Amino acid sequence: MSRPTPLAFGSACALAALMIAAPAMAQSNIVTMNTVQIFGTIDPAKINDYTEYMAAVNLYDGLVTVDEGGNILPQLAESWEVSDDSSVFTFHLNPNATFQDGSPVTADDVVYTVDRLLSINQGPAYLFADVLEPGSVEATDDHTVVFTLSQTFSPFLATMPAVFIVNADLVEENAGDDEGQTYLATNVAGAGPYMLDSWDRGSRMTLTRDENYYGGWHDGAIDEVRWLVTNDEATVRSLAASGELTMTSQYQATETYDAIAAMDGFYLAEEDTAVAFYYKLNTQVPPTDDVHIRRAIACATDYDLIREVILPGGVLSTPLPPLFAEFHNNDIPAPTLDLDCAREEIAQSSYAGGDPIPIVHSYVAGTAFEEEIALLFQATMEALGFEVTLQPEPWNRITELAGEIDTTPNLTQVFFGPTYPSPDSMFYTQYHSNAAGTWASMEWVLSDEVDSLIDAARATADVDEQAEIYRELQALLVEIQPDTFLLTQRVRHAMSDCLTGFQAIPMQSFDYDMYRYTWTCDPNG
Amino acid sequence: MAVLNNGSAPANVEEAVPAATISNAYKNWYRFSRNPTAVIGAVIVLIVISCALFAPWIAPYPEQVDNFVDFRARHLPPSWEHWFGTDNVGRDVLTRVIYGYRISLLLVVVVLGLSIPFGVMLGLMAGYFGGWVEIVIMRLTDIALAIPPLVMALAITAVLSPNLMNAMIAISVLWWTWHTRLIYSITRTLKTQEFVEAAEILGASKFHILFKELLPNCVSAISVKATLDAGFVILIGASLSFLGLGVQPPTPDLGTMVATGADYLPDRWWQSVMPGMAILFAILGFNLLGDGLRDMFDVEDVR
Amino acid sequence: MEFLYFLARRLLWSILVLVGLSIIIFTIARIVPGDPARIALGPLATQEQVAELQAEMGLDQPVHSQYLGYVGGLLQGDLGQSLLTQRSVNEDIGDTFAATFELVVATVIVSMIIGVPAGVMAARNKDGWLDNSSRFIALLGVVTPAFFLAILLQILAGYVLQILPVTNRMPAGIDFQANITGLMVIDTMLRGRFDLTVEALRHLLLPTIALSAATIGQIMRITRSSMIDVSRQDYIEASRAFGIPARIRTFKYMLRPSFVPPLTILGLEFASLIGNAFVVEMVFGWPGMASYGVRTILQKDLNAVMGVVMVSGLFFVFVNLLIDVLVGYVDPRVRIRGTR
Repeated sequence: MSRPTPLAFGSACALAALMIAAPAMAQSNIVTMNTVQIFGTIDPAKINDYTEYMAAVNLYDGLVTVDEGGNILPQLAESWEVSDDSSVFTFHLNPNATFQDGSPVTADDVVYTVDRLLSINQGPAYLFADVLEPGSVEATDDHTVVFTLSQTFSPFLATMPAVFIVNADLVEENAGDDEGQTYLATNVAGAGPYMLDSWDRGSRMTLTRDENYYGGWHDGAIDEVRWLVTNDEATVRSLAASGELTMTSQYQATETYDAIAAMDGFYLAEEDTAVAFYYKLNTQVPPTDDVHIRRAIACATDYDLIREVILPGGVLSTPLPPLFAEFHNNDIPAPTLDLDCAREEIAQSSYAGGDPIPIVHSYVAGTAFEEEIALLFQATMEALGFEVTLQPEPWNRITELAGEIDTTPNLTQVFFGPTYPSPDSMFYTQYHSNAAGTWASMEWVLSDEVDSLIDAARATADVDEQAEIYRELQALLVEIQPDTFLLTQRVRHAMSDCLTGFQAIPMQSFDYDMYRYTWTCDPNG
Repeated sequence: MAVLNNGSAPANVEEAVPAATISNAYKNWYRFSRNPTAVIGAVIVLIVISCALFAPWIAPYPEQVDNFVDFRARHLPPSWEHWFGTDNVGRDVLTRVIYGYRISLLLVVVVLGLSIPFGVMLGLMAGYFGGWVEIVIMRLTDIALAIPPLVMALAITAVLSPNLMNAMIAISVLWWTWHTRLIYSITRTLKTQEFVEAAEILGASKFHILFKELLPNCVSAISVKATLDAGFVILIGASLSFLGLGVQPPTPDLGTMVATGADYLPDRWWQSVMPGMAILFAILGFNLLGDGLRDMFDVEDVR
Repeated sequence: MEFLYFLARRLLWSILVLVGLSIIIFTIARIVPGDPARIALGPLATQEQVAELQAEMGLDQPVHSQYLGYVGGLLQGDLGQSLLTQRSVNEDIGDTFAATFELVVATVIVSMIIGVPAGVMAARNKDGWLDNSSRFIALLGVVTPAFFLAILLQILAGYVLQILPVTNRMPAGIDFQANITGLMVIDTMLRGRFDLTVEALRHLLLPTIALSAATIGQIMRITRSSMIDVSRQDYIEASRAFGIPARIRTFKYMLRPSFVPPLTILGLEFASLIGNAFVVEMVFGWPGMASYGVRTILQKDLNAVMGVVMVSGLFFVFVNLLIDVLVGYVDPRVRIRGTR
């Protein structure tokens, strides 16, 4: 305890140390971050939301991982080969890689992990629904594992970071009758850089670094990660003020960021992400089945006001966020507010001239900025001759409504980011007919032309060819206008001046891999 | 709050006092007007009702009720232009409070309109018929009363989707029990009295006895209870919408306004404090008026 | 013997109420639109995944066997799996109930130790300024919505004066598990951490005030009126005639019988107390069963909602049983008159 700490805090640490009988660390770099929701599960075969992935990224390693540019990097696998037709992937494991219990990571662990994932069929399993089946993965020797896909799928490599390898022996020992689901819900059997120290479900999770991590450690590495569950803005502010918090969540109110950034010892880390924010328009029900109505909505949207006053964000001009620079179609201009354009488009539509045009606008209940955007939409569109019904719904309900064309609202405010770092994730999940019926595809585009372009890009391993196809696809989708392209989400964190390493990564929660962060000051108590 | 709606402490339930007949309107009025709290209550209730009825003429910015945003005027503190300040999309809070009373009173009218006839009917039957009817009805109310009302309303509104209609249903589902208990205890006392026995001897139909003999004697108790209830229906409705399970935007609703405004505490306190005061004001009015009416009608046991 | 008979009757009746409650809750839960299995699996689940989980959860069974399964589970104390937390509802409620219990107990204690003496004083000062101002305060307590009072307290004590914490049970930096009794105040003392006991009390204070305002008012008024009733009784008149000092008269002869109405009103008031706990816990970020209940209600987490409502009902029934027995023990007349 080199630095004076509040008495209660210091003694709490002493007590914790006493209770777990761990040697008290003299000095360590501690990152304390708040999360706005609890950690539901830490079983890598069941993780779904951002906190669950956040825990998994730190507790487990995958065969590969991903960087801020969306590039696939080696992790447990030191190299890999891809067959020419993108259907056979061979990974060579790092022979020095070990799990946290010291046992080596072998090809059998990988096979076990994938089979378990497919058998439980939850969490990341949906990524492999069409491409992997039991027996698709084989261990050819201790350190070589071969994936044979049931169809060509060039983005396969990009999905692999979501497969977190579990320690087969350890899980089998504790398998029970549910393939270790009970065990892994609260225990870790991984090779990740951090070990689970304590977890109080409702309020906190603490990780400490694994001194023997096979990947080694850099200077200023984070020794301990503490996540506090609180979405209360006042609490977050007072924690930051008292120095107990080193990093906020990305979901605080603008006022909170401003207040904390103004405090001594904090800065605001901001990054535009690959998460896009859309009005998803149901293209199959009136009046949004008419492209002119959809264009009118696009013209009547005050993008600057939304981006500058309501929700800070970057420009989005096509369905694909500009972070995918290689694939982005830069010829398409960014949309702007133009009420004359909106009136013309309405006049050209088949709903013109009669009674007010009814339209349903849905958004996530209880989200202040979404409600503000909805009210803005309502005020603008009613002046243009629409009759707007606002329909705030809990998120679960929206995912249900999205299940069928008839229940999908005319317009829904939705954030969608890539679940794996490939444009395919943006296009396939949102616009391909095979993926219709989820919250991500509330447009119901159902277009053969769109499907065939997406399939063509999947079938080729040639990046230039893919880029060409994706640019054409963007132009086509802007033409069809199934969405209003509002903005790309800007992720913000108020962070301690001592902490660096935050970078937006186009895959859920990989930006919170604490192994990549560095503490630049003297260690704190 | 629940106890106010309930009969009373169990020790007294059985000794409910029969309602006084409204024999002398002037005497009653005199007694009422001498009771300062009752008069204050009546004035408050009158103000609230006027707000609801004449909102478009009273509210300073009636055009800002729905379909209005002005992001340049958001979060303005109270001033001469905006007595209660403006909210997060720039709407005048006072205007929305005045319109908010419409929703509150609508809720009251519908909930009481549904639950009083039903509850009174069951109470009359249980009290007069006794036997199995009494056992079934009264045990049913006991079971219904074992669930905290707000919890039940929360569960029902959540299960159905949250909106004004379902909030009304959820509250009504529970509310009849209080009236059943009240009328039951009054009826039980009344049925042994001479005028009922006389009607029975004269061969009056059960229908006649229930609705022509017993019911009129419950009217003053019911009206006192209904007045007190109005405040609590507003309260429970506001609690529901405070938790996000009631009226949905942009409809101006007081509970929702408090909840939305709470995001901006403490710096922009007016956004939740002003609507909160408005709720308090209305509930206070109905309570004072109810107390006054109770004294006037001399129905001590109605709570 | 007579008392045992009374006890048995009350117990039987409580069980009957709980059976009725289980039917009501099950009925409500079955009218849910939407598919709990799909909700559980998250947004991108495939149709097969949904069907698989539906079968696992028994959602493909006919309604009556679902009810029997539900009651069977209840009898074994099994409330099913929460969709929100992916854990058994028992565990979730077990983890959160103590926090709610602590808040409720604190509220009851505060209500009694403020409400009863205030009522006594008001009665002794009948129609004086003390009586009138206590009446006014009681009225305010009753008409102020708990959530609004909670917000006002937060603004005043938390932000303006900055003397009390406004959220949670402990400062966020402190890692103290209340795992002996679950009650923060007790556990910190048992572990000898009196500095943390102070913290626990500081955190408890505002939510308790917000929750007890209505109850204090009720208890104050009922104590006052029953004191006045009792004071008119013959034996009090007689004691007055015998020259027994007023203080002894008040506390020995009047207060004891006057304790019965506040207790009964507490039992009745308990329902709204639990209800108000839902809003108060939300405002203060109190990690109790009620805020768990609201979270799960907003997410339509069926099993959890049913569990929370059932436990709330159970809690209410149990407390009333306890109070009835207590009152029946103190006041024999109640035993003869039987249940209400």
